[in-house]
Amino acid sequence: MAVGRYVSDLDTGDVLGPVEYVLSPFVIREYAHANEMHHPFFQGLREGLVMPPTLIHLDKLRLYNHACPAGTGPDARIHYEYDCTMHEPVRVGARLSVGGRVTQRFTKRGRDMMIIEMELHDISNGHLLVSYRDTVLLAYAQKDVAKEAAAS
Amino acid sequence: MTGPRLPLQPGTEIRTAPRPMTRERMRWYVDAQPTIGADDGRIHTQPPTIHDDDAYARKNGLPGIIADGMISTNWIQGLLCDLFGEAVASRSRLRTKYIAPIYEDQIVIAAVRVTSVAQAVAGVTSYALDVWCEDDAGKKLTVGEALVHVA
Repeated sequence: MAVGRYVSDLDTGDVLGPVEYVLSPFVIREYAHANEMHHPFFQGLREGLVMPPTLIHLDKLRLYNHACPAGTGPDARIHYEYDCTMHEPVRVGARLSVGGRVTQRFTKRGRDMMIIEMELHDISNGHLLVSYRDTVLLAYAQKDVAKEAAAS
Repeated sequence: MTGPRLPLQPGTEIRTAPRPMTRERMRWYVDAQPTIGADDGRIHTQPPTIHDDDAYARKNGLPGIIADGMISTNWIQGLLCDLFGEAVASRSRLRTKYIAPIYEDQIVIAAVRVTSVAQAVAGVTSYALDVWCEDDAGKKLTVGEALVHVA
């Protein structure tokens, strides 16, 4: 297990979370505002607000902060693929539990990549609300694989 | 956006107005992250990132700041919400892949094309769509697909 330090240390099989929180109207409206989604179900009054599906991406950062308190690591990550399924709407005020697992860490064209699969559940009834699969490049700069192989 | 109303037909293609990916738009997303993490009603800011600090971006092998991929995903999602409303946040799937970086002041247009419409089952119609973002020369920057179930 590589949890406990940097995100760049994470490896296949690492479990992230679960982390529990309550979905606030501030979070929904702030995220929608930052992304120019001025729809009433994202930016209206508290009653009736629903979570933008893409907000699950910030739950990944919530899990990173929980599992990797030392931060990102030596290089900036770059997001490569987003894949989210909404099973039920997530309403403001819901008590939520998010957890994830590193399902793959691998090298592609000289770059370290990582896939995390996450689920968001409603604590009150156990329902699966959102499933999410996230793929990142752990560093933009490509490794010189031949040089590394020769040195090892 | 003003566009066609439901039901949409297969082959229908809809685009947003062109938007420049300005430095401000990139920073809005950067600062939204710690602000949302703190969830205390105040604005919070991050240490330098590849999305708001040119020197830090260059140190990471980039020519300058680039947009967070989630911005283009959100612009696609916003277009889907324009078309399908709250159904997008209720029962849907969206997959996006970032195939080219988006640089400062690059023009970005979000687009969807209906690929199929499943007949209503129990009052629910399912729309499958290709989705993408392109620049003003038609170069694809972000690609993917979506499925929205509309009651």
